[in-house]
Amino acid sequence: MSLIELQQISRIYNEGMANEVRALRGVDLTIGRGEFVAIIGASGSGKSTLMNVLGCLDLPTRGSYRLNGQLVSRMTDDELSRVRNEEIGFIFQGYNLIPALDAQENVELPLVYQGLSAARRAQRAREALEQVGLSDRLHSYPSQMSGGQQQRVAIARAISTNAPILMADEPTGALDSHTGRQVLDILHRLHQERGTTILLITHDNHVAATARRIIRIADGRIVVDCPREEIAL
Amino acid sequence: MNLAPSFRMALRSIRANKVRSLLTMLGIIIGVAAVIILVSLVQASNRHLKAYYERLGSNRITISAEQSGGADLTQPLLDFCLRLGPSVLGATPDATTEGPLRYHDKSTEQMETGGPNVKLGSHQFSLCNNFQLARGRDLCYMDVQASQQVIVLGARTAEYLFDYQDPVGRTVLLRGHPFKVVGVYQAKDPDSEYSMDNVAVIPYTLCRLLDHRRNLDTFTVRAASAGAAAEVTSRLSGFLRGKIDNERGYFSVYSENQDVRASDQQNRTMSMVLGGIAGISLLVGGIGIMNIMLVTVTERTREIGIRKAIGARRRSILAQFLLEASVVCGIGGLLGIVLGIAGTFLAGQLILRTAVLPNLAISVGAFVFSVGLGVGFGIYPAAKASKLQPVAALRAD
Repeated sequence: MSLIELQQISRIYNEGMANEVRALRGVDLTIGRGEFVAIIGASGSGKSTLMNVLGCLDLPTRGSYRLNGQLVSRMTDDELSRVRNEEIGFIFQGYNLIPALDAQENVELPLVYQGLSAARRAQRAREALEQVGLSDRLHSYPSQMSGGQQQRVAIARAISTNAPILMADEPTGALDSHTGRQVLDILHRLHQERGTTILLITHDNHVAATARRIIRIADGRIVVDCPREEIAL
Repeated sequence: MNLAPSFRMALRSIRANKVRSLLTMLGIIIGVAAVIILVSLVQASNRHLKAYYERLGSNRITISAEQSGGADLTQPLLDFCLRLGPSVLGATPDATTEGPLRYHDKSTEQMETGGPNVKLGSHQFSLCNNFQLARGRDLCYMDVQASQQVIVLGARTAEYLFDYQDPVGRTVLLRGHPFKVVGVYQAKDPDSEYSMDNVAVIPYTLCRLLDHRRNLDTFTVRAASAGAAAEVTSRLSGFLRGKIDNERGYFSVYSENQDVRASDQQNRTMSMVLGGIAGISLLVGGIGIMNIMLVTVTERTREIGIRKAIGARRRSILAQFLLEASVVCGIGGLLGIVLGIAGTFLAGQLILRTAVLPNLAISVGAFVFSVGLGVGFGIYPAAKASKLQPVAALRAD
């Protein structure tokens, strides 16, 4: 049983109306445990939509999506919340930290929703922040940190739950190449040390080149799906 | 679910928007303060009035009866009251005669509040009007029968004419006629300027000495109980109907219990009307909360999206926004109580001229109600927030 199995997934916005948008058109995709996959494509190709569907942030219009063998379309709203909380860690291009909370509190947030005690939360959050090298910024607010630091807080938040899957949507998009490399290094370390499955969405070929498997999307369809070695980037 | 972090979060978001939060609370603050002040004041003035009636004497029946050219009604009326037995505690004429009272160079004409009410009464005058003797003796049956020129002074009259000397045994002049002071009543209304203590009483049998050809036309009867008062009132009416010819005179028998009841009723109505108005302002405050919470939800759509993306369930989001609304209302309610208590004291001093204690039950009730308002008016915005789809919320800016 694969970790992720997509069959004939379509995502159509405003279906049947004049402004209908077919973001995904019949995607078949299987991803196994422990893979490091880069999904590339031009903007508007449908890669963010794919990530939203994979991350259970959005439901496909048609097709079946099995995560750990379970049909996502059958899940209730609360079950989807649980999946997002325990199975998947998200890293967004815009960091998506909550401005009113400091670094530690942001990292603790998914643990709050797991119902962990304050002491356990604080411990896990500190460990996660240490992993991304931010032990000294526990109580800084997002507005007091650089983009790279904010993205590292976001990574700490994503790994604090020890989720088996990490999804990163343009994680380096807003960073300079040096900090971008730091962020990628962290992802690689997690992949190697914890065996975390990593899905990396990017339009940057240099970033994609660090993955093991490359999937290229164009116009809502997968046009390339092969190991890193077989493609020239 | 653990509420403590949500609670801290709510406090922080209130602190982050101080001015807006305060403006949001303003409706609640004013509403709660208004409820407390108005209800406390109405209740205080009610207590005031009740105390006034109590000092005046309960279960009093006042009679006025006049008939031109008819026989004097005094003796038949008092006799009739005697026949009514234990349901009547006492009966007295209660007519007023002209002053002034004079003692040496002092005359009650110069009293700032006007001269005393010089009453023509029986030995039961003090019983009927709830006066207690302070010194000397009261009017007695023999004074009345023998038309003795004696007088009992009310506390204020005594104080004016004699300062702090003992008036008992001295002689005052009433329109030139000498009257010996035999007693002084205790003050029963010391706070009020136009006091019931500004009074003096002489035997009613001296009526003819002072006012030629005048019949006594006012009487006070005190019944033993509220039930007896009703019965005695109707018996007296029946008696007077037989005595007074409609063509030449009139009479009225009036139980003051009706006044007490009417003022009670009036106060209850007043309480409800004022409380209702204050309640409406609370309601408007609640709608303000809903309005602001809706704005907050819109503003924080992205935050809601983030929270849902990392695993917040519907009820977590619902709880967060409900909690925030109730914390805003709770703080507003507390501030409203502070303002209400201060306002009650201030308004008590200015309007009723006494210290008014705010009603504790109303204060607690207003607080609970305002938190309830927060929950009630927070539900719609909070439900709206909780139903946002994560991807749609994340896309918002």
